[in-house]
Amino acid sequence: MSDKATGASWMVSADQNESAAKAAVSAINSHFSKAGVVASVLKHSSGSKRSYVSIECPPEHWLALAKWLRFDNGVNHCSMITGIHHPDGGADKGWEVVAHLMRMPVKNQEPGVAHVMRGGELEGNDIPMEYEVGIILPPSTTPTVPSVQSVWVGADWNEKETWDLVGINFEGHKDMVRVLNPHDSPVGFHPLQKQHRLRYDGFNEMYDDAQGFGRKPIDADKVK
Amino acid sequence: MAEGFVIHELIFDGVRSLADAALTGTPLESYAGSLAVITATMISCVAILGVFMLSMFVILWLERKVWARMMDRRGATMDWRSLWVGEQGVTAGEWWKMLPFGIGTPIGALNRWLNKVMGNESEHATVDRVGNRSWFGAWWALPGFIQNIADGMKFLTKEHMVPNRADKTIFELAPFLIVTSTVVIIGFMPFSAGLYAINPELSVLFAFAIFGIAPIGVFFAGWASNNKYTLLGGIRSAAQLTAYEIPLLITVLGVCVVTGTFNFVELGEFQHSSGSWNIFLMPLSAGLFLITMIAEVERIPFDMPEAEAELVEGWWTEYGGMRWGLLFAAEYMRVWAACIMFSVMFLGGWNAPLAGTFSAIPVFGALWSMPGVLWTLLKAWATFLIFVIARAALHRIRTDQILEFGWRYLLPLSMFQLAVAFVLRLKFFNAENIDSGAAGGSAWDGGTGFAWTIPLIITLVSLIVFTVYIKDVDKDPPGRPYHVYTTEPAGTHLAGKE
Amino acid sequence: MWITMGPQHPMTHGLWTLRVKIDGETVVDTEPELGYIHRGVEKICESRDFTQITPYCDRLCYASAMTWAHSYIYAAENLLEVEVPERAEYIRLIANEMQRIASHLMWLGAYTPDTGNLTVFVWCLRDREMFLDLMQELGGSRMHYNFPRVGGVKRDLPIGFADRARAKTKMFLERMQEYEMLLDESTIFLIRTQGVGYAKAEEMVNAGVTGPNVRAAGVNYDVRWAHPYSVYDEIDWEPSVEKQASIKGADCYDRYRVRMEEMRQSALMILDALDKIPGGADTHYSPGDEMILSKAPNRAPEGASGFHHFEDPRGESMFYLQGGGEGRGKSPYRMSIRSPMFITIPFVAKTMIGYKIADIPAIMGSFDPCIGETDR
Repeated sequence: MSDKATGASWMVSADQNESAAKAAVSAINSHFSKAGVVASVLKHSSGSKRSYVSIECPPEHWLALAKWLRFDNGVNHCSMITGIHHPDGGADKGWEVVAHLMRMPVKNQEPGVAHVMRGGELEGNDIPMEYEVGIILPPSTTPTVPSVQSVWVGADWNEKETWDLVGINFEGHKDMVRVLNPHDSPVGFHPLQKQHRLRYDGFNEMYDDAQGFGRKPIDADKVK
Repeated sequence: MAEGFVIHELIFDGVRSLADAALTGTPLESYAGSLAVITATMISCVAILGVFMLSMFVILWLERKVWARMMDRRGATMDWRSLWVGEQGVTAGEWWKMLPFGIGTPIGALNRWLNKVMGNESEHATVDRVGNRSWFGAWWALPGFIQNIADGMKFLTKEHMVPNRADKTIFELAPFLIVTSTVVIIGFMPFSAGLYAINPELSVLFAFAIFGIAPIGVFFAGWASNNKYTLLGGIRSAAQLTAYEIPLLITVLGVCVVTGTFNFVELGEFQHSSGSWNIFLMPLSAGLFLITMIAEVERIPFDMPEAEAELVEGWWTEYGGMRWGLLFAAEYMRVWAACIMFSVMFLGGWNAPLAGTFSAIPVFGALWSMPGVLWTLLKAWATFLIFVIARAALHRIRTDQILEFGWRYLLPLSMFQLAVAFVLRLKFFNAENIDSGAAGGSAWDGGTGFAWTIPLIITLVSLIVFTVYIKDVDKDPPGRPYHVYTTEPAGTHLAGKE
Repeated sequence: MWITMGPQHPMTHGLWTLRVKIDGETVVDTEPELGYIHRGVEKICESRDFTQITPYCDRLCYASAMTWAHSYIYAAENLLEVEVPERAEYIRLIANEMQRIASHLMWLGAYTPDTGNLTVFVWCLRDREMFLDLMQELGGSRMHYNFPRVGGVKRDLPIGFADRARAKTKMFLERMQEYEMLLDESTIFLIRTQGVGYAKAEEMVNAGVTGPNVRAAGVNYDVRWAHPYSVYDEIDWEPSVEKQASIKGADCYDRYRVRMEEMRQSALMILDALDKIPGGADTHYSPGDEMILSKAPNRAPEGASGFHHFEDPRGESMFYLQGGGEGRGKSPYRMSIRSPMFITIPFVAKTMIGYKIADIPAIMGSFDPCIGETDR
């Protein structure tokens, strides 16, 4: 889909995407090489197979990386911060925090003016880019990661949700409250941890028993 | 036009003679006159209340059934159908079969015949699929009329609850205040020159004084319910009703100045004997009256006190059962009283338009000279349609915007209209040309022989000013808010173009 | 004083609470409370097959079920490394754009009664019926379609669908003029929605708000062209954008206008896609045919992950899936859902400070909340 007037396409092209990803990765690697932060260009495995920046970051450098990304790389949107519990991950991998960020070419506008961007015309730090930051934490009963609430406002409720559901603490987060679970949930109850299992866990209607007659909850003999 | 039939006197005469006959020879003989007056007044009040309520059901029907359905389906549809027919031709319970001795069989046959003759199909697939409740063409059967009676019965069956820590006395008192003050007004409403309950000299003053008691009741209801929402609703309502009382009263004052009387019946008579309806003489007043009345009865666009989106039901949230039903009925009674007042004060009331000319026509003339009460009712129902259109098409104005509108725009306009009324009455009124005969008079001829000179001039000037005012020539974006503009004019959007 | 709007309240468009501190009629502070319909979808889906998860995703945001199911399916295809045939992508685009129109009509039908006009509610639902009928033909039910499959779609466009879709879409484009005639020039609507609820573009993006809310502030950012997916690069369309009225940001009227324009764009996209669909819009391939569904693995290796940013009618939604490995590979090890409204609602709650109580439904409604996706 192209605009007849300028000839530039609305879509961000694959070349722009590739070059932006490579530029971001080399910038990150050169900046944070001594900190153990490893950035690489990965591709989505389906669809238009676009590239994105995948970063592995140790927890202690997460806040610095976040600030650098925001102010020097233009990453202005925190899409999601989520946590994963790996009870069987081995000695190194007990918890994982994955942050998805995006760079969006959005600037405040004057009244009465519409900034009509055409993807094909964007360059440098204006090219939209997806970032995925993975932070691996060792097994622990109190996994902790610095909070990036001060860097992106959008991280605030994401971190609340991650703590509420998964149990990962965010150091420096102001006003951490239960957001999806009831306020009076037991302390230490974080449902997405793997030791909590659904009542009908492991039972698959489609293959085992289409009508579900034979199924029993896992606490069948324990719960009245 | 002199009315040959004055119901009040008829009742009074009848009761008086009855009282005289019954009480002669008894110790109460000397009180026969007073007793007759009291009894006659009560009877005529009840009779007028009956006329009022029956005609009020029509407006409920107009609002909830006629207008809404005509808007969407281009054909009036019926609601009785759920009694007779049901979904897709299958009755929701063939209730006639339950009648004993098979007397329900003809009803079933009638039902089938009606379905066959005035079918069930609609060309709009959506309409047809959702169980089209209609016999197209049966417009004469007053579709949906008895729904409102059914609603009233429903309210009787609901629970009456008083909130726990509500101020019980005031909570119970508030509906009484509101409903009583509304019903009292009905006594003053004339349906024609002879059909009224009582007719004191200053009936307009009385009616509007009593009309203004309701805000107190509303505030009591909002306060006493022990509910922050109702409190907000009550406060908003008190502010809004107070703000709009004043332009209303000044507008009515303007009408009374032009007409020269504070009596409803004489207001109606004046419009005949002077030769012109007041709406043509004072169109601005008519507009102001309608707007302030819509605000007084708290209908959209002025229904912020009961705004459903924020306050659920506003100041009447906590009322259940018949108390709510009475408040709801009181709102419609106020609307109906406003419509009747509008038709009497501005639209000539029970006088047929151009009576002198039209009654001379052979057959049509007889129809045109139908009893005055029917004219009043027709005009009031037509006025109500304006209320309905306003409600359907407009949004709710925010409270502070309502108050600003009332104090800063309507009040100066009503003062201006009052000044115009003084000028009209003092300078342009030709008292010799008042004529109460069949053809009316020509008091507003301004010296020329043509009876409609002054009203015509005023109406034309008003129309021109109105047209010029509503035309929006300023297309410049900054200047928002409170400025009517759009980025593109409506209806001219072409997709994909800036 | 603090008043509690919710959880049962006509304004809230769903089950959540907004505690508002008011000083007379002015809002001084707000506190949203979510979580009333937290159903634990993320946890449940850890025990479900990839195909079984699709109906759950329909029910996340019930006003916009088709787009949420697709959002999940794109992420699952990323995880499982599946190629989707082009005809299926066209069908998905048609379905998604129809859902966008239906979702925006639902928004308009809920927004205008909030400002007091009850007529438009019924009009919008009437027109939404047309699109619900079309999507029922595709998916089988009016609200939760379970339409996409990993690798394609469940079934092809039915016979005659193209004609009906064209007729209804064209009728809708005309009906939009009715809405605009009633709303755009209604002084009362303008004074209710102009000048309230200012929000600036950069603030919004930093706070995680995206989609039509940001496009109302004069920036035409749209995930469909920034990170293209499906066949949006072959269809003739423009992301709709609205000039903001004030230096303070976009107000409610701008957000209303941008959604109206989006509906129009979606209608044009549907018409264009019906013309360009490979194989023609009138052919019908049977379910499972390789033109509309490609073979997909049903296990994801351990350590694999996939995510996809998707342009939902309410903003940018994203699913992140991690594969489960040999033993439990049929289910995702973790499914994480990014709901635009979960992030927008706290932002809007702070935007409302300083306005009147009556502006609360006007502002909140203009951001188009849907609580199903918020609470998951």
